[in-house]
Amino acid sequence: MSNINIIIRTADKTRKAELSIDLQQTGADIIQSAVENWSLPTDTDYSIVNTTSGTTIAPNASLKDSAVVDGNILEIQPVLVAG
Amino acid sequence: MTFERYQRHSLIDWFAQDLVQTAKVAIIGCGAVGNEVAKNLALLGVGSIDLYDFDTIEIHNLTRSVLFREHDVGKNKAEVAAMRIQKLDPNIKVNYFAGDFWDLLPLDKAQNYNCILCCVDNFEARIKLNQICTLTRTNLINTGIDSKFTQVEVFPFANNKQVACYQCNLPNTVYERMQARYSCGWLKKIAVTEKKIPTTIITSSLAAAMATSKALALINGNEFTKAESILINSATGVSSISNFEQNNCCIGCHTTKKHIFITKSSANITSKFNFSDNAKAEVNTSDPILVSYRCVKCNPNTNDCTVVFKKADDFDASLTTCKQCNHDSVDVVIQDSFTTHELINNYAGKKIPVKFLRLENKQQTTIIELE
Ligand SMILES: [Zn+2]
Repeated sequence: MSNINIIIRTADKTRKAELSIDLQQTGADIIQSAVENWSLPTDTDYSIVNTTSGTTIAPNASLKDSAVVDGNILEIQPVLVAG
Repeated sequence: MTFERYQRHSLIDWFAQDLVQTAKVAIIGCGAVGNEVAKNLALLGVGSIDLYDFDTIEIHNLTRSVLFREHDVGKNKAEVAAMRIQKLDPNIKVNYFAGDFWDLLPLDKAQNYNCILCCVDNFEARIKLNQICTLTRTNLINTGIDSKFTQVEVFPFANNKQVACYQCNLPNTVYERMQARYSCGWLKKIAVTEKKIPTTIITSSLAAAMATSKALALINGNEFTKAESILINSATGVSSISNFEQNNCCIGCHTTKKHIFITKSSANITSKFNFSDNAKAEVNTSDPILVSYRCVKCNPNTNDCTVVFKKADDFDASLTTCKQCNHDSVDVVIQDSFTTHELINNYAGKKIPVKFLRLENKQQTTIIELE
């Protein structure tokens, strides 16, 4: 198990945390933890963006496969459905 | 007269009015964002604009819809929006299609648009439009809003064979949420209340401005090499731009080959019906088909089933309750994959009730659009 230190925050910047995280975790795992720990609305869907590299992390891709490295800032963004 | 109308545009060095005037663009969904996009495209002088919507105008739409008036309530959204933008610029060609784009937008027509702007309000329609655009390699601009955020995503399919599609990065929760509305896999649950998401003209106009800007870039021939997403917080102005990478496990595009062949065929199943040299080759249908049903209590013999062969989407979960014995004992057979042999032997004389059939071989994806 190899861990890295990242910053995770919500798109509106009202939530932010610095944490040590396993590189095998997927984008979906991190979103789920954020939704649970920060009590984000559960009727919304979220994606996760590596704001340092400017790339969206695919839901089932691990952080390692998504080339997330120490010090990156990941942002939880809503996937908007209304039109 | 026409030149004078666009004279200010001609002063902008990056603005190619001639390309804009010959451009063909489609707007799917004429709600809040669709209204604003249609208004913007018309004022820019986009030469040909096609509007698609099955829905009718309701009084609560009027707080976000610049093209609708109180006396329009009850009328089709695409029809009214088309009429109003035609008045904004009589020089442009405007068409409307009052119905579901899945039925009204043939693939060869989709291919002719410079881009399609997706302004719908649900994931199912976005996924269907993504399918049309990935298969026809038509540029897609997706929009989404809530009461605070605006999202615009560009999928430059026309010039890139290896580019992420809308589904490549769609969260699993979207599929889980859609699946929760169905029972037995594909039958709609009877009473499902859709969540209402509040929006305002602020986020809808912001989304439309950004989406129109991206449409203009595609029309002007700007090369996008990657799919991209822009999220803007309308309250603070803070925005985030990110790229989408292609997902090798994407259920929307990972089976699609680099070479796509699109053809048309009659939907009628006759003895000559053939789309592959191999009668055992599997063809996938674009929509699941409800093949048959049978009450296991009233008709224990498996051959005593009622053959339906219609789109599963036309039915709901009430079908699983037997009308004779009143038990939830009806077995429903729904398929989205058939062999030629199976179709000719079991369903000759019927029409295949879907938009297209899809065959895969090692080199090519073949799409047979049914008419
Ligand atoms: Zn995809």
